[in-house]
Amino acid sequence: MSATGSSNPEYVNARVSARRATLFDEEDYRKLLRMSPDEISRYMEESTYQGPINRLGSRFSGVDLIEYALNAGLAETFDELLAWADGRLYEQVARYLRKFDAWNVKTAVRGIYAGTDPDAVEDDLIRAGEFDDALLDRLVEAEGVDEIVDLLDGTIFGDPLAAAAEEYDESGMLVPLENAIDRAYYENLFEGVTSAGGAGPESAYAEYLQAEIDFRNVRNALRLARSGAEVDPAEYFIEGGTLFTPEELSTLSRNPDQLVEHIRESRYGDELSAALDEMAEADSLIGFEHAIEAALVEHARNAGHAHPMSVCPVIAFVLAKEREADNIRAIARGTEAGLDPEEIRAELVVQ
Amino acid sequence: MFENALQVASLVLQDASSGPAITSTGMAALAVGLAGLGAGYAERGIGSAAVGAVAEDEDLFVQALILTVLPETILIFALVAMILA
Repeated sequence: MSATGSSNPEYVNARVSARRATLFDEEDYRKLLRMSPDEISRYMEESTYQGPINRLGSRFSGVDLIEYALNAGLAETFDELLAWADGRLYEQVARYLRKFDAWNVKTAVRGIYAGTDPDAVEDDLIRAGEFDDALLDRLVEAEGVDEIVDLLDGTIFGDPLAAAAEEYDESGMLVPLENAIDRAYYENLFEGVTSAGGAGPESAYAEYLQAEIDFRNVRNALRLARSGAEVDPAEYFIEGGTLFTPEELSTLSRNPDQLVEHIRESRYGDELSAALDEMAEADSLIGFEHAIEAALVEHARNAGHAHPMSVCPVIAFVLAKEREADNIRAIARGTEAGLDPEEIRAELVVQ
Repeated sequence: MFENALQVASLVLQDASSGPAITSTGMAALAVGLAGLGAGYAERGIGSAAVGAVAEDEDLFVQALILTVLPETILIFALVAMILA
């Protein structure tokens, strides 16, 4: 509702747990795996995606309908979260949901970089963040990066993006822009959250945010280490985590074995050891990245159980909802491409 | 204002010596009042959670209502104290 007034975690968390119970579970996914895209959209019509499917059903069909309905469903759900929350809780949820602002800005920038048609870019937006529709539409229609920078002046992305735009003009690479967006988002997230270390709900939330940043750094480092690219991973580094310093990251990413050892000895060792074993065995990053995502969802859920009167259950729900959308998308796309159900299953993140 | 402080003090002391400042009925009334406040505070949390749950699923109305009024039981003890006082 608004950031004024007292926070109302009881109300929001009661609604959130009811919503959590309606998320697709393992059984639903098993059914979906045996369906064609049209059947999947019909199945979704009987779930929480009823509104978007009905609204978009006359315009699209097949996998496109599923794709649009998933994005619209996410936006709808997260807007509702903001409508329920009040006070400090609203503020924290809103800060977290700026993730979608970051996503939208990135999408717009990438669209310009790749010279994509504005309509196609618009399809990929998730209208769940703080930016209103008018601003998003203008972002999509922007002619160049400079125009986007001008539009975002005054938002949290304004100054960092302006600085990165100069670098972009010089090098012609997207990396500085995307980094600036990510960094602006995570820095903003930590504002007003007391540091980790205590035992209260605030520090549980801070710890979760650190885990999210650490996992992101780990993923970036491993990807770079695997690809063997001559890029300094410290450039991708996001501040705020506890696992690495930028220097550590750049030394470790040259040596994947040491990196794995470093993760094993950290506080995420237990959560990620199975994933690391799998990666060593299968020699593939995909499994590891799924395991990281599952570990993050698990982490958020544990924090939510331990501190039911904080923002943690809401964050856990946001993550689980995103995973649900990713899973349905993977199933729909996989089925359309004629993949074997077993192969698609391996792509799902189910907890 | 300090010159008559002594007189005031002796007046207060006299009053106190004639009986307790709050009688047992008064104490019992306080007990009922505080119990009501406590129940109200507890119901604030349960009530808002209950409204949230009912908004998601109307079948939960009865359970939500029962849970919401549970803290009222503390008032029964307060009333017992009132009768005994």
